[in-house]
Amino acid sequence: MLVDVDCVTPVAVTASTIVKPESDTATDVRPDNPWVVLVWNDPINLMSYVTYVLQKLFGYSLEKATELMLDVHHKGRAVVSAGSREKAEMDVFRLHEHGLWATMQKDGSDGDAS
Amino acid sequence: MIGRPRQPVRRHRDGFVLDLDADERHLLRRLLGEVRDLVTTAPIGDAKMQRLFPPAYTDDAEGEADYQRLMREELVASRLASIEVVDSILREDDARVMTSAEVDAFAQNLNAVRLILGTLLNVGEDDDDSESPEFALYQFLSWLVDCAITALMRS
Repeated sequence: MLVDVDCVTPVAVTASTIVKPESDTATDVRPDNPWVVLVWNDPINLMSYVTYVLQKLFGYSLEKATELMLDVHHKGRAVVSAGSREKAEMDVFRLHEHGLWATMQKDGSDGDAS
Repeated sequence: MIGRPRQPVRRHRDGFVLDLDADERHLLRRLLGEVRDLVTTAPIGDAKMQRLFPPAYTDDAEGEADYQRLMREELVASRLASIEVVDSILREDDARVMTSAEVDAFAQNLNAVRLILGTLLNVGEDDDDSESPEFALYQFLSWLVDCAITALMRS
């Protein structure tokens, strides 16, 4: 197979950190901590692909999605969304559909949020 | 490379055009067929499929069991539907204009092949001077995914 390189030579991305969770909606008034969705660095997904998926699924600007992707890449992971457990589970599902390595947990449950 | 760089996924007035020859289309259809088979037959916990079915909860066994029970089947169904979209594109001739959703499915599913192949090849951060045919295939898929994403993000 001849690989004729035209588009930028692919670079693998891996995971990231920590966006302040956006308050989900005005109706989400539960007092407990929200859930956060993390995307983890991995050696397979391309940086361009991860950026694109974050824009597509969460409506982030290119700048915001790129920042999150770079957090994943350099810090090992990033929080990409937050909200109710149901919302987090759906976000994780959509990220899994796209092949990103995503998990969810209670906000602050690992004590590393900086 | 000398000459005009090749663009396998191009913007077109009404959408996108895929510029792949018959051998390449055949290869991609075969790979997607293998993913389809693996997604439906691989046992839960199969190591090479771990990137297509990752855990949602790493510190909550009960939550994870619930997630797998509720979502795995949906994940499989979604994957199969999405592969079918791509397969139907690859069955047709080059002239067909694709929508952005179809290019998206193309990238998503070639990436699924990469996730399995990359896991089998144990692709890491720094390897990657391997000259095996499998690694060349992996790089070819990486290039196609990147080109598809580049085309989508320019649109």
